[in-house]
This record gives sequence, structure tokens and C-alpha cells, in this order.
Amino acid sequence: MRITFPHLGNAYIAVESLLRGLGHEPVTPPLTNRQTLERGSFHSPAEMCLPFKISLGNMLEGIDLGAESVLMIGGWGPCRLGYYGEIQRLLLEALGKEVEFITLEVPRGNYSRYMVHLQKLTGSTKFDHLRSGASLSWAKLNALEELEILALQTRPREKKRGATTGYLQYQLEQLRAAETVQEVEEILSTASRGFLRLRAREQNRPLRLGVVGEIYTVMDPFSNLRLEERLGYLGVEVVRTISLAEWVKNHIFKKALGLYSLAPLRRLAAGYLRGFIGGHGLESIARSVDLARKNLDGVVHVLPLSCMPEIVARGILPRVSRDHGIPVLSLMVDEHTGEGGFQTRLEAFVDMVQRRVGRLGK
Amino acid sequence: MGFEVITSPPTNQEILELGLTACVDGACLPLKAFVGHVRFLVNRGLELLFVPQAISVVPGEYTCTNLLGLPDLVQQYIPSSVRLLSPALDARKGAGKISFSYLRCGLEFASALRVLKAWQTAQAAQRQVDTAPKANGSTGRGLNILILGPRYLTDDAYLNGDLMGKLAALGVQVTAAAAFPDSITLPASRSLAKRPFWTSMRRSLGALEHCLHRVDGVISLAPFACVAEAMQGVMVAERTAKTECAHLELHVDEHSSPVGLVTRLEAFCDLLERKRRG
Repeated sequence: MRITFPHLGNAYIAVESLLRGLGHEPVTPPLTNRQTLERGSFHSPAEMCLPFKISLGNMLEGIDLGAESVLMIGGWGPCRLGYYGEIQRLLLEALGKEVEFITLEVPRGNYSRYMVHLQKLTGSTKFDHLRSGASLSWAKLNALEELEILALQTRPREKKRGATTGYLQYQLEQLRAAETVQEVEEILSTASRGFLRLRAREQNRPLRLGVVGEIYTVMDPFSNLRLEERLGYLGVEVVRTISLAEWVKNHIFKKALGLYSLAPLRRLAAGYLRGFIGGHGLESIARSVDLARKNLDGVVHVLPLSCMPEIVARGILPRVSRDHGIPVLSLMVDEHTGEGGFQTRLEAFVDMVQRRVGRLGK
Repeated sequence: MGFEVITSPPTNQEILELGLTACVDGACLPLKAFVGHVRFLVNRGLELLFVPQAISVVPGEYTCTNLLGLPDLVQQYIPSSVRLLSPALDARKGAGKISFSYLRCGLEFASALRVLKAWQTAQAAQRQVDTAPKANGSTGRGLNILILGPRYLTDDAYLNGDLMGKLAALGVQVTAAAAFPDSITLPASRSLAKRPFWTSMRRSLGALEHCLHRVDGVISLAPFACVAEAMQGVMVAERTAKTECAHLELHVDEHSSPVGLVTRLEAFCDLLERKRRG
């Protein structure tokens, strides 16, 4: 089956391997661009959030490339992402696209429908093939996040402006083409040496800012207007608090086994939030407290316009900032976010943090 | 329970202003109004403020995500002298859990017997509200309209620009989705490919399935920038497109004008009437 799927940052590299392991042909839509968003927005209700519009745009572009089915994740609340697949299925149907819509979620109610989907996904493949595909995909997911983190550390220290981004792109292409776990490991070790060569001798410690917020807008460079890159060029080392590999481990493997616990997050957010509020709201608060304790210089909070849990978090973050003495910048993104205004706000924030760090003599 | 109870009046200009000036931007209109009510009450001078954390009221479903974080959000807008009383109402594992949370919350302030009595009185009062006849308006033009949307909008005449009153004045029989008990909306929503996991959306769509062939039109009422309601809009549009039922979507925020509302309602009713006459 030719399967397309929505983008999330560079995760397509891992998803492609997984689908091949399942014996399908992945149809990767073009990397998210202006046109994707415009197309997605055109067919979405105006008030849907940015991730919905972009992923719908990805699906439409994937279908244009000849995909026969669409893969999407689902869930049972309270985050509305769990229902996006269903709405996108209806919208595609209304557009007259004849595709099979496969939603990956924990079954509830009508089991036979899920069984049919599961059989279609896994039916045609041998177990060995599936296992090697899954382990390759997992290795790639971990590797690509490691590469991205190396790039984040290198960018504020690079000798030649822009060299890091180019090198990362090259290594990601290598990673995409890799066919065995062995190859993935080789790429990773070459790259970690390569990134080191791009760095200049360190003069001042760069500022370190943590990024928290809603997972999609944090992970997807198109939707956050390449936030991490922009901060890097402003001389900031970005510290990630969200990792897709971690998310998969926690929410799919550990949750299935009943091992996942929110207790550590809840302890960090004590006094601000009493527990889970949907989406990444609890994480945003807990991670901000954690970053403050780790003595980072500031926090950037990214959220899509109208994301309910993050709006609650946004209402609470000023108090975290006051209590822990850490500057916080909340950035709301939607399809109208202008690059100029965005850049100005980042520059002002970085200047402010820089001056504050100088004053505190850190 | 022996408390002196202070309640805020129905939402008005003053209360909404209090909310608008304080509440984090990006929040929806009902949330801003809620913060307004909280600030209004705090100004009255009180020691305890009751803001339950309504996680879920029907097994297997959630309320709106905003309600999950409501007590923590409200905490930002009250002085430290006011204590927040917020039992977690979580029916995901069974509806009985809600009664349990209330009773446990009460035990802090009174003896078990007193709490139990208070709980029974409260339940009797709630039943009276639930069973009161809810359809209103007049049958002058013989039009029937179903109103979909969360109760904190459909029941708040100030926030929805007195939608019910205006429709009644136009001679229309109005029924809100909230008028249908879960015993009707739950089975009705089973025909959907995927049952929505938010109670308000499931109720609205269940009510729609139930009344689809009995009403002339459907009005869905939503706060501006509410994604759950936007999704509901897609589903309602998909459902009504295949029938004779007309659909009007109304989004409200603090800038909505009552005059614009009247025009749209008049136009909608005229359309329904013409459609009915053929």
C-alpha cells in the first residue's frame, strides 16, 4: 500500500523506515512549506489550530503524489489532537479524495474496524522484516534527535555562519538513506566529530535558553518559524525539553504497560498546577521550573493560537517566572505570524536576558 | 453546611470587564467571564471560593480542557487571603466518584451526617432544575430551531447576546441541546464513526442526531477561537448537508454586536420560512 502521513519536524526519516518494515511504500509529502499551509488552511475551518491545518496540507500533498491511504494518530482526550484524524477524514471525504484513512489509536468501542486497519497495516509482512524495520526506525529517530541537538550546541559557537544548518541537512540526508542500524551508528559518530570541527574556540559562554510548549509547534521548524535556528544565530544555545523519542517511549510503550507516571512532573509543578490539564500544559510548567533550577538563563514558551492547555499554562508562567527569577517569553504562532515581528521579539528577549545575566554576573 | 453563601449575579457588563482586564489573552469568552465572576466575588470579601476542577462528568469522557486547569488559572487572580475550595470531579472511572469527592470535601467542614444531609438537599435541588421544562419561545411562525453549544454559552443570556430571547421574539420554538438528557444523547451519538470524548460536543451531536428530522434549523453557538466547537461545526455541517435541515454557525466574543446578531437571526428565520413554504 502507498501510505502518506503528516510531517512532524524531521520525524519522517524514522516513519519511512517503519512503513517499509511493514511492507508498505511510504509517500512522504514535500517538506512543509508556505503552500502546504495555504492549502491546509483553505480546506480547514478558520478556527482550527496551526498543527491541524499543516497536517491536512501534508495529507493533500501526499495524496497528490499518489498515496492510497493516510496514516494519522488519534486518541481519546482531553487533547483535541485525538479527534483531528476524524475531522480530517470527513474533510478529505467531502473533497472527494478516495483514500483509506488509518488512525492509530487505542481501540475503543467498535473493535472490528481497528482489526481491519491493523491487518491492512501489518498483514503483508513477515515478522523478521517487521522487527528489523522497527529497530531501524527507532535507531533513526534517536539518531536524528541527537543530530539536531548537536546542531543546537554548535550553532551559537560556529566559525562560519550557516555552516551548521548545512551540515545538519547533509547528515540528515545520509541518515534518511541509511539501511541498517550499523550505518546509522556510523553516521552519528562521523557527525559528532564533524560538528566539533565547525566550532570556533570558545570565548564567552553562550546564553542558554530552554524551549517548552506544545509538542507540535516546538518540534516542527516550519510552524515555529525556525525558532531554534533563529535563537542559534542570536548566539543562544537552545536546550530542548521535548523529545519525540522520549514521547514515544512514555506514551506508547510505558503507558501500554501501565508504567508511565506523571508524578515527577507533578512534583515539579507543585504549587502551580495540581496535575494533568491536557496536552503539554503540565510539562510546560514543570519543565520551566526544572530549567530554572538547572540555572538556565531563560525560557521560551511556544504555543499554537487557541491551544487551551497551553493558554492555562501561559496564565501561570508569569508566576513561575517571578518565583524562580527566570525570564519567560510566550510566543503564540498561527498561520499569520509575521517573521519580522517574530524576529524583533526574539532579539529583544535575548538582549534583555543578556543584560540580566551581565548584571547578575553569572 | 452552615456557610453563608455569596453568589455573583448573572453575567453583566461590569463582570465581563473585570474578566477582560485581568484574564490571559487567548482565552475564550466564557473563560474571561468566569475570571470576571471570580474577581467580582473576591471584591465582595470572602474566605472560601468554590471552583471545582471538573475533569469529567460522564464515564469515558472529558469536559473542556479549560476546566481541567480552571482552579490553577483562577489562583492567579485571587489574593492569598482567599482559599480555593476545589474538589476534583472525575467520573472517568465511574459516576459515583463525583459524589465521593463532594462528600470528602465537605467532611473538612462538618460532621458526616450533616454533609450527607446537605448532599441530599443539593441533589434534590439539582433534580428540580434538570426536570424543569426547557423548551421556550413561541410557536407563532411554527418554526423549530435546535441550539447546539456548551451550556456556559447557551444558558448565559449576556454572553450569547440573549439569543433565546431574540429567537422567541421572532416567534420561533427553541430547544437547546442541554434539554436532552444523556439517556437520549448517548445512544444517539453511537451512530457517529468516532464518538467525541468531550461531554459538551457529544451532547450537542447526540441531540442533533436525535432531532435531525424534527427541526427546521440548527444554530451552533461557539466561543471565538474554540477548536472543539470548530470541529463540531465540521461534523454538524456534514450531517445537515445530507438533510433538509439548515445550519447557522454563530461565534461570540467580547466584540460581538447584538445588532449584527438580530440581522443574522432574522435572515435565518426568513430563509427557514421560505424553505418550509417551498
